[in-house]
Amino acid sequence: MGPLSREAWAQRLGAFRASPSAFLAGAEGEDLGRDLLSDLRSEKLSEQTKVSLLTLSLEYSDKLWSDAPAAEAAATSLLDTLVLLPSKPSALRRLLLLAATTALVSGGALGPTSGASCRLLPLLLGLASGRDMGRSFGTLSEQRHLQATACECLGELERCKPGLLAGSLGILRSLLGQTGPIQPVSLLLALVLHNTLVVPSRPGAEIGAGLQGLLVAGVSSSGSCPWDWTLAEEWDAHLQPQAPSWPTTGEEHGFPLLKPSPEEARELKAAVAQLLDTSYLLTSVAQAQLLWLLGWALRGLRGQPPVVFKPQLVRLLGTAQLTLLHSVLALKAAFGEALFTAQDEALLLRRLTLVAQHPALPSPTHLFYLNCILSFPENCPLGLEGEEAAPLLLGPQLSRGLMPSLLHDPMVLLARLHLLCLLCADAEEEEKGHVHSPRWYLQELLAGLQQRAALDGGPQALATLCFQASYLVASCLAGQPTVRTSLVHGLAQLYRARPSLAPHFVDLLDQVSPELREPLRVVLQQEVVARPGKNESLCWHLRMLAKVAEGDAQRATLSFLQAAAIHCTDWGLQQALLRVCRALLRTGGGDGLADLLQVLARQLEDADGRDHARLYYILFSHLSSSKLGMALGPSLAVPALASSLVAENQGFASTLMVQETPAPIQLSVGPQKAKGTLPVLHLQVEALEAPVYSLELRFRVAGQLYGPLEAVHIPCLCPGQPAHPLCLTLQPRRPAPARLHVEALYTTPAGLTCHAHLHPLSVKFADLFLPFPQLPKGSELCFFDDLWNSCLPKGVESRMWCPLGPQGLEALVSQHLEPFVVVAQPPTTYLIAVQLPPDSMLLLRLEKAQVDGVPVALRTDNWAVLPLVGDYLRSLAAH
Amino acid sequence: MAQRAVWLIRHEPGNPLGGTVKFSRRYPTVEKRAKVFNGKSYVPVPEDGPFLKALLFQLRLLDDDKDFVERRDSCSHINKSSIYGLLVGGEELWPVVAFLRNDMIYASVPLVEQTLSPRPSLISISGVSQGLELLFGIQDFLYSSQKNDTDLNTKLSQLPDLLLQACPLGTLLDANLQNSLNSINFSSVTQPQKQPAWKVGTYKGKPQISISITEKVKCMQYGKQDIADTWQVVGTVACKCDLEGIMPNVTISLNLPTNGSPLQDFIVHPCVTSLDSAILTSSSIDTMDDSAFSGPYKFPFTPPLESFNLCHYTSQVPVPPILGSYNMKEEEAQLKITVNLKLHESVKNNFEICEAHIPFYNRGPVTHVEYKVSFGQLEVFREKSLLVWIIGQKFPKSMEISLSGTLTFGVKGHNKQPFDHICIGNTAYVKLHFRISDYTLTGCYADQHSVQVFASGKPKISAYRKLISSDYYIWNSKAPAPVTYASLLP
Repeated sequence: MGPLSREAWAQRLGAFRASPSAFLAGAEGEDLGRDLLSDLRSEKLSEQTKVSLLTLSLEYSDKLWSDAPAAEAAATSLLDTLVLLPSKPSALRRLLLLAATTALVSGGALGPTSGASCRLLPLLLGLASGRDMGRSFGTLSEQRHLQATACECLGELERCKPGLLAGSLGILRSLLGQTGPIQPVSLLLALVLHNTLVVPSRPGAEIGAGLQGLLVAGVSSSGSCPWDWTLAEEWDAHLQPQAPSWPTTGEEHGFPLLKPSPEEARELKAAVAQLLDTSYLLTSVAQAQLLWLLGWALRGLRGQPPVVFKPQLVRLLGTAQLTLLHSVLALKAAFGEALFTAQDEALLLRRLTLVAQHPALPSPTHLFYLNCILSFPENCPLGLEGEEAAPLLLGPQLSRGLMPSLLHDPMVLLARLHLLCLLCADAEEEEKGHVHSPRWYLQELLAGLQQRAALDGGPQALATLCFQASYLVASCLAGQPTVRTSLVHGLAQLYRARPSLAPHFVDLLDQVSPELREPLRVVLQQEVVARPGKNESLCWHLRMLAKVAEGDAQRATLSFLQAAAIHCTDWGLQQALLRVCRALLRTGGGDGLADLLQVLARQLEDADGRDHARLYYILFSHLSSSKLGMALGPSLAVPALASSLVAENQGFASTLMVQETPAPIQLSVGPQKAKGTLPVLHLQVEALEAPVYSLELRFRVAGQLYGPLEAVHIPCLCPGQPAHPLCLTLQPRRPAPARLHVEALYTTPAGLTCHAHLHPLSVKFADLFLPFPQLPKGSELCFFDDLWNSCLPKGVESRMWCPLGPQGLEALVSQHLEPFVVVAQPPTTYLIAVQLPPDSMLLLRLEKAQVDGVPVALRTDNWAVLPLVGDYLRSLAAH
Repeated sequence: MAQRAVWLIRHEPGNPLGGTVKFSRRYPTVEKRAKVFNGKSYVPVPEDGPFLKALLFQLRLLDDDKDFVERRDSCSHINKSSIYGLLVGGEELWPVVAFLRNDMIYASVPLVEQTLSPRPSLISISGVSQGLELLFGIQDFLYSSQKNDTDLNTKLSQLPDLLLQACPLGTLLDANLQNSLNSINFSSVTQPQKQPAWKVGTYKGKPQISISITEKVKCMQYGKQDIADTWQVVGTVACKCDLEGIMPNVTISLNLPTNGSPLQDFIVHPCVTSLDSAILTSSSIDTMDDSAFSGPYKFPFTPPLESFNLCHYTSQVPVPPILGSYNMKEEEAQLKITVNLKLHESVKNNFEICEAHIPFYNRGPVTHVEYKVSFGQLEVFREKSLLVWIIGQKFPKSMEISLSGTLTFGVKGHNKQPFDHICIGNTAYVKLHFRISDYTLTGCYADQHSVQVFASGKPKISAYRKLISSDYYIWNSKAPAPVTYASLLP
């Protein structure tokens, strides 16, 4: 396919920009990156179109060439295109450098093994240092302009692989004094210096040690490579924030402390001073970057007093340029008292309060500076680190101009209100009653906000503002009774004036601390029930009541509901009414609730409503109050999107139905004790995470090998307690091993009934063994012989080889067969008799042991057990 | 210290989407760093469509603002700065710097060079101030000397190229986009060493300097015993220096007459090379006394090529230029109003315009007016419920004028008459609009003879002065009015 036309490309790029993911998933998606690279070399396309292609690749290189091989190929192609450009001036050179850099970095291809990286780096360094790169890079004057771009690209490489350019410090420093653009070189030098000092050096702190060498090494003298991949390896680990955390002053945590030698310190100081001296030639945003970089770089150095920054400060304090003042604050945070005396700190804070309100500045700037005041890095901070607080120096005089007023826009008002709240929280209680105290003003302001929110038909934003302000005040000052009382009173008035704000009230009640919630709830309940009968606000009143109806005033609530029931003619109102009933049920009901529910179950027009009322009535009269609370409480498994009814039914379901859960307990088979007339399985039960109550364990035997097993009941199991022993008597119908399926039915601490399947238990053949009763001394041999003879002819005789492990015959017998030995004549003969319930037996004659086993003669009256015996004997040696 | 992405969005209330993305730019290398720095808390920059939707929702610019939506209206979702968290695809993208000006939404996502949980404080993120500065820079470029939509579209079309200059790889190099535009145009000239980065090229031609001082006066008059009136002057000194040479030095002095009001709260342009500590510390926070520094205020600087604001200041003049009173009472179905205005004798009685606007909010259209004015003429905008009293160029000799009248209002039409959330009940105001040229309220002037220029050739110096009213309110003294804290202080 030949190159696309300008229009086709414009259309294609437009479609891509509209939704890159959709475009890339589409038919043309795969080809875009390839077509773009090849068409850059097309002679038919205009330079303008190529610029738009390169701009797109700058923006979306991570989407176009997302993996390292693709990015490497793309960067190689871009570099080839760059070399092939005709020597006349072209806007493409700059973009190609930027695009190749972007592709390598964003595709993760940058590295020592990448061919493109190894082409790009020397090219950039050559351009940056002003060397003539040959005709393919345009005229000398064009190369001069590429110098800035090359510095910017190098900076980006260094940012993404910190330490990469540490070896070029000397070259960069020498460039600073030469011709060429000063800003790109300054920024690059500051960045590399920062990374060299801040990036944690490898063991031995070689960077610190070689700092002087790095700083003075020139182009010619060094001879070494100006970039160093080893320093930049493991880039994820090395990538360090310029401000790792905004620390409180004085602390040095998290910083590698380098201790430069006197010569190094002198050289470093000279380099920093050189950068700062010419910093006025930089744009203000670049100056700010320089200050951040140098400030955080020097912060980790012992014995480097930050006075070198001082001459810049006076100049900077006069401006209100965001980035500049912000960088001054960064210096303040980095050096604290070492750079800012108490007077300096006071002056900085005064400037900050000034710019936070200066009428000549726009509101986003005000807001940012207000935020900075609340996180102001004080020399001697009192509060907790990271907590917003008014600085100590910000007295009433200073903060006067930062007071909120109703005329402010919402964000400014809230930000200033927050400050006012913090000041009020700090202020002594004694100023209470002072007419023009900040607290009094705060209350006036809230009253004004409430009045505005009460405006009928007013915008949602005004109501939201009022409630957000109330929340702010509540969260800062809920502990102060006067503020709390007036807030509650004001909100009650607001509700009276505009009940349609009920959703806001419900939200506020959900968010505030109990200190405010409880009094507000009581007052709102009173507000609602004081207005019975029909009115257009009934739906809001019911919504409000569903939130606040609890506690003592049930009688009034019930009579309100009774009066309201007549007017609840539509489905929505009926549901709202029932929701209140439900809330009442949850908190224990009240005397008249049953009557009300019965009335509703008869009266309501809607069948669904009547059903619900009846259901509530049945629940109310049948369930204990704690169970009711559980049943109607918030559902444990609340679906993300559900109507109230679904949620409600889920609530019932979870409480009144048995829930399937994962196993709450662990059941294991303990050591067996063969005695008695029936085999008994000794089990151990442990609770896993939560306490388990009224546990019932049900067992079922697969294949009806045994008689039905009775369920076992355990009143309570708590995690961490010793295992609970449990004896399970088996009633075998045939002497055979089996699997027991186990189910657990239990109650959670929350009162829910749950059901779980446990891991099946295995009953082994040997678990069924029972000994014959104790025989009188001397009659054993005779008894055994009688048994032996009785087996035939009905039964079966066999001889088997029982392998012996290293432990020998005696140990084997004592370990596994001890209870069943009738006659023992060690080491030659053991006569063993085992009862196999229900009515079989197994007789073993163990003869003289040989090297690796013992011959066993056996008889049993049940031939079906022969294979089991074989397995059993063979398994003995393994244990 | 970098931006992950930048957007320019036009807010269009009629549009079903609420707006259109006019410009956007992403920085994949910065995004790569964000992924590493933010770790588990990393949230990718969304595509334009989802971003637009989430931003407009957060800024309350979608039309569905009628009902309570918890995600936006919950009392705990408090936004106290222009930095937002946007819910995109179930995850919260933070921080998003955004603000709305003239129907344009400016937005960017700064890089945070640490993990986002717990959320770091804004002051610790260098990219936030940089993002704001970049957006202000775009705003200044779009709206400086822009006359119509065609101008705006031309400038919008230049944005991609300009950002390639000013912010090629996500790290902002210059917030002054005009400067970037110049640098594209000047690109054939080799720059000498010591050329400041904020000044591309040099001026060639006749040397001239223009200094214009604009003062705006704000005022709140209540006409009440227990509430003090407040007023303030805010001054801006704009300069344009056309001087030859790379780094010409200029010093401009602002002077006050003997009875002038001291200037305070200076903020200066970054090109000012040094600042007297008396200027730096003169502040309206301190109580005024005779020792306040009253100039001359000297500003040595090296000017950029373009016009710039050398400094801003405020001042507290002893009396407001026009004293007024406003009484409004509701009697039966009528409103009775009287307005009295008095020009202070010290003020230059020569206006470019002078008008008093008397709006009536939250009421129906004006159906009937009877009025008497002692001077000037009254225009009635019935549908807008607004009276405009045109006073003209001069106050009469007595310096006092008055208006009295009676109004009746019709039934409030839906959304036709203006709504206001301050003017509830009888809370109402008169707002004055006036402009006086060649005059400053503080008396501040730039003495042409004291301008020092260290450059070749003697420049022609021109100076201009102007006083403009801004937020000049006279509140109805018969009803509650919104007060500021300052007006309550004894």
